[in-house]
Amino acid sequence: MQEKIIEIEKLSFYYEESRVLNQISASFSRNSIAAVIGASGSGKSTLLTTINRLCDEVAGTRVTGRVKIMLDRQKIDIYQPGISLPWLRRKVGMVFQIPNPLPMSIYKNLTLPLKMAGIKNRGLQHDRVERVLKDTFLWAEVKDRLREDARTLSGGQQQRLCIARALILEPEVLLLDEPTSSLDECAVAEIENLLLSLKESCTLLMVSHDLAQVERVADTVVEIADGALVGSKDKV
Amino acid sequence: MTAACVFVTLGILVFMLVLGLPLLTPDSLHLIFASEWAPDRGLFGVLPFIYGTLAIVSLSLLFAVPLSLGNAVLIHLLLPPAAAGLLHRLIKMMTGIPTVIYGFVGIFLLVPFIREWFGSGSGMSILSAGLLLALLISPTMILIFVESFAAVPAGHIRALTALGGSLRQRLFYLLLPGARNGIMTGIILGIGRALGDTMIALMVAGNATARPESILDPVRTLTAQIALVMAADFDSIEFKTIFVCGILLYMWAAVLTLTLRFLNHGSVKSGFRGVLS
Repeated sequence: MQEKIIEIEKLSFYYEESRVLNQISASFSRNSIAAVIGASGSGKSTLLTTINRLCDEVAGTRVTGRVKIMLDRQKIDIYQPGISLPWLRRKVGMVFQIPNPLPMSIYKNLTLPLKMAGIKNRGLQHDRVERVLKDTFLWAEVKDRLREDARTLSGGQQQRLCIARALILEPEVLLLDEPTSSLDECAVAEIENLLLSLKESCTLLMVSHDLAQVERVADTVVEIADGALVGSKDKV
Repeated sequence: MTAACVFVTLGILVFMLVLGLPLLTPDSLHLIFASEWAPDRGLFGVLPFIYGTLAIVSLSLLFAVPLSLGNAVLIHLLLPPAAAGLLHRLIKMMTGIPTVIYGFVGIFLLVPFIREWFGSGSGMSILSAGLLLALLISPTMILIFVESFAAVPAGHIRALTALGGSLRQRLFYLLLPGARNGIMTGIILGIGRALGDTMIALMVAGNATARPESILDPVRTLTAQIALVMAADFDSIEFKTIFVCGILLYMWAAVLTLTLRFLNHGSVKSGFRGVLS
């Protein structure tokens, strides 16, 4: 049995007085792809943001319960006091529904997370840039235009760049919030192949509306309705 | 509408050129741009007023820019929403306070304080006027800076935060580069307001016609000169010099406006590229 890297225990999330997530308990195995499905507004994206505590950025929110993640070989309750949020977010990367390259060059989009994490060695930065671009099958397409504005890339390329940007920090968990919903069929196939290759190096937790896609890529499926977990199954 | 604006703007310039025409000959200009103002001795140099204006405006910017940026960062980034909202409302309210009220504060609080603190002069000085002008122009600048920060796309902020960016990194890597044009706009509007202010200059700058040697010296600005001469004279050379002062202020305002248009055009054309691009 595979080691559980994420364990969620009775997690509830409140936005002011309204309960968005209700007593969710679930666990996810290392090096797997878990898909979170459910109707619009059921709380899927909110669940993702509780795992890297991006939800903390919204005023008036509150979380009860526990989320434990195996990070740096230690199981850590991410809601315990004193947790460094920048550190947590480097370990638990996130990719959003709409590609959001920062308004700078392709190269700088990738080196900025490293700079922010204190990795200033240019040789190391360059090696990591090349590696993640190869991992995300972008290297051949962009190696001659690394100094160009990242916003000149196509939608699929932008999303792969955003995945590369999250991967450059070598996260142990990667959260993906409907990463293919704004892309065409061709780009969707590229991203799906990429996700399947990525589970060798990290654990992926993905929100998706596309059940066929979930069937193609997910190892585990959890279903949420009205903020509560209503089903969970391992495909294997 | 645009044609009407152009007509009125150019009309004002033509009006001032016509009124200042007798002094716009090479000989007269030599007289006007001399460094001494002593009408009783036939000296009509406006250079001391130009120096006075530039000194007060520069000093006020030196105080106002960091003060405004700091307050904008507090409101947008650091304070809890309730406190940020309160400060924002307070600053909005400050934009509506009449200049003469600032002048009273200057005369009864700031000027005696400067006089006591430095122990020389009357306290009516470049420093007093600069500080007070900084207080006058800061609210407008703060509101523009806050608006510019808020215009940075939320998607970029989320992306940077999800990458482990701290508040400081958000400020330096996203907000400041993203709001660059807005910050420049705020500064230019601040300069415009400081250049055009008359009341504070009249009330606390001291109105001396000599060229200043230090920030504790009293000075007279171009706007104060116009107000003072206009109140006491009519149809003399002395009186006509105020139109030269007016033309100078008009030209400075035009340069600021054109700079603003250039910046806005640049921002539309290139989009926000950030300091790291």
